[in-house]
Amino acid sequence: MNRVLTLTKTLLRDWVRNREAVFFALLFPLLLLIIFSTVFAGGPTEFEVGVQNNDVTSMGEPTELSATLITAIEETPALEPHTVDSDTGLEGIENVEEATGHKRVVVIPDGFDARVRSSSARVRMAVIEDTVNRFQGDISPGQQQDIQDALGGFETEGDASPVSVVLLTVPDDEAAGAVGSIVDSVIARFNDRSIGIEDPTVSKVTEQRGQQALGAADYFLPAFIVAMILINGLMTVPSAVAQFKRDGTLKRLAVSPLRKHEWVIANVIQQSILAVLLSLIMVGVAWALFGVTAIPGPVAIGLVVIGAIGFSSLGMIVGALIQTPGSAISLGGAIALPLMFISGIFWELDLMPATLQTVAAYSPVTHFHRSLREVMILDSTAGVWTTAVLLLVLAFVFFAGAVFLTNWQSFES
Amino acid sequence: MGSKGSRTVIETSDLRKEYGSTTAVDDLSLTVFENEIFGLLGPNGAGKTTLVEILQGLRTPTSGTATVLGLDLQESLYEIKDRIGVVPQSFQTFERLTVKENVALMADLHSDSLAVADVLEELDLAEWANVPFESLSGGYQRRTGIAMALVSDPEILFLDEPTTGLDPAARRSTWEQIERLPEMGTTVVLTSHYMDEVEYLADRVALLVDGQIEAVDTVAELIDTFAGAVKLVVHLTDQTPETEEKSLATLLEESAASVYRNDDGALIGVFSDRQTAQDVYTALHDLGTGHSIDLISPGMEDVFLELAGQSLTPEGDLE
Repeated sequence: MNRVLTLTKTLLRDWVRNREAVFFALLFPLLLLIIFSTVFAGGPTEFEVGVQNNDVTSMGEPTELSATLITAIEETPALEPHTVDSDTGLEGIENVEEATGHKRVVVIPDGFDARVRSSSARVRMAVIEDTVNRFQGDISPGQQQDIQDALGGFETEGDASPVSVVLLTVPDDEAAGAVGSIVDSVIARFNDRSIGIEDPTVSKVTEQRGQQALGAADYFLPAFIVAMILINGLMTVPSAVAQFKRDGTLKRLAVSPLRKHEWVIANVIQQSILAVLLSLIMVGVAWALFGVTAIPGPVAIGLVVIGAIGFSSLGMIVGALIQTPGSAISLGGAIALPLMFISGIFWELDLMPATLQTVAAYSPVTHFHRSLREVMILDSTAGVWTTAVLLLVLAFVFFAGAVFLTNWQSFES
Repeated sequence: MGSKGSRTVIETSDLRKEYGSTTAVDDLSLTVFENEIFGLLGPNGAGKTTLVEILQGLRTPTSGTATVLGLDLQESLYEIKDRIGVVPQSFQTFERLTVKENVALMADLHSDSLAVADVLEELDLAEWANVPFESLSGGYQRRTGIAMALVSDPEILFLDEPTTGLDPAARRSTWEQIERLPEMGTTVVLTSHYMDEVEYLADRVALLVDGQIEAVDTVAELIDTFAGAVKLVVHLTDQTPETEEKSLATLLEESAASVYRNDDGALIGVFSDRQTAQDVYTALHDLGTGHSIDLISPGMEDVFLELAGQSLTPEGDLE
């Protein structure tokens, strides 16, 4: 045990004096945390959208209902509408962005006002008819007949089929789906009002439970702690091990009484200590700059340690297999970066395609990140123990693999 | 303080190491005694490093047995590692750590150790104690390596090409450090391709060629046995009269085993014993011929040439 502690101390000293390692392990995730937290601290994103109104009066003024729809769009917080001149011909246009300067354009067709009015009359009659049918028992047969006669004698003017508002998008618009959903909700509300529904039957109320007032940094903090552990474990560790192998330092250690499992343990302990220290530094910086309230407690620290053990053991495997530091970083990055991307580190899993969400469900990083977030932000341990067991099993397997694969003989001269 | 003893500290029997179809160490048997400097001399690729790395537990022999400090290499590997010191050929350590931190690391990895400060003092490293290893010159890096190996107070110290790449001053300084080690009770196994190094330091030398030991003995015995001839060289010039040349050759032929002219035109007499050569040397001087005369004693280079059939280049390759 004395040899392990001695070597751990040595590795920590060596790491602290290694500027590249400090940059990649601490400053890089810290910079990402600061950038992401700053960028997303200004509240929800506003999507820019062009609006072209082709439904104007002979005086060139917007018709009443088209103006109402535009107002509804303008009052939607998630949208930032810009007027597109109705003279801009969009019929058959391939490149919408080139023609309008916008990646997405809502086009209100000519005749919108008239069609909405006709449609709304048709819909209102259908509603009345349906209402009468539903309340047959409460209305006398004579009254029912009077209502049917009145509806039968009423005819809608003009085309009463539904009118379409067109949302034009471009192929490389990643936000097209999100904007489409927002425009859908605006139109749904417009539809309600067009038939006289001011108070809908169902409404949504958002309640954030818990006592904390969370900002963007609170959400990114657990994510970047996980990123730091992955970068350290899967990139810095393999690179350092490959360098020690190449320059003969490992050979020098191998001729001492140090056993190879002690070498692996010392590296894993070093990474665990670093993970806790760097997490606390990141929390400190995030608290100082953004006033985060997501302070890690003992359970979160425990998760950080287990994660560090698992991923640094995997890093020791990579380092054991690869001969040069450059190749070790490449292979480590090839494992770490995709894991980060599919595990909700940089963006919400819900924004990813269904296939990737399925893949993400099998990623240990997803569970690690989710549990750390759960315990740090919500102070909840739901699912945390399952994640801890999963990470412990992986840590054991990776550690055993690292000890097995580490070469303690036959070094390259 | 140690004295050269008869206790065996290393013994190999029919030791063999094969890499595929290449045999690096070929059924090699040798014995190293306590408190001696044992030189392993041979060209690059002769199997020197493979042999010492087997003895250090860094390589597994294909066949044969080896004991170090009376312990079986396979059964007591870590006890052996605890009692030996190693300075590998291309020595490197934690480069961002200071000399003192690196030496202390090795002290802590072994069960017994000397005081770090004493070892640094002994090797004239005290003033460099707090300098990062990466900032040291090659000579001081090598000296740090020796300090790291000595701090565990090893019973055997393996030095693999300890002066390769060092300037003459650093080389001489390293030699001085090495030759004091047996007095401190440390047996030294020195691997080198430098003839002068082995000749200067080693008590006994094993000459290794193609994984086999060609000869093992003291330097003096090896020279006597395999390169006993003493050469007397008379450097003639273009202006030397033919009659004088003939009389000098006659004088040499009277007592030399053979006389010949080399490519430079020098007249060379080969003598079987040093005293006769010395007498002829004095006689020639007394004649006052005005020619430059050298008396050349044989050395390990001659031994190597005799046994290996080829000389070594300064880089350690066969010519």
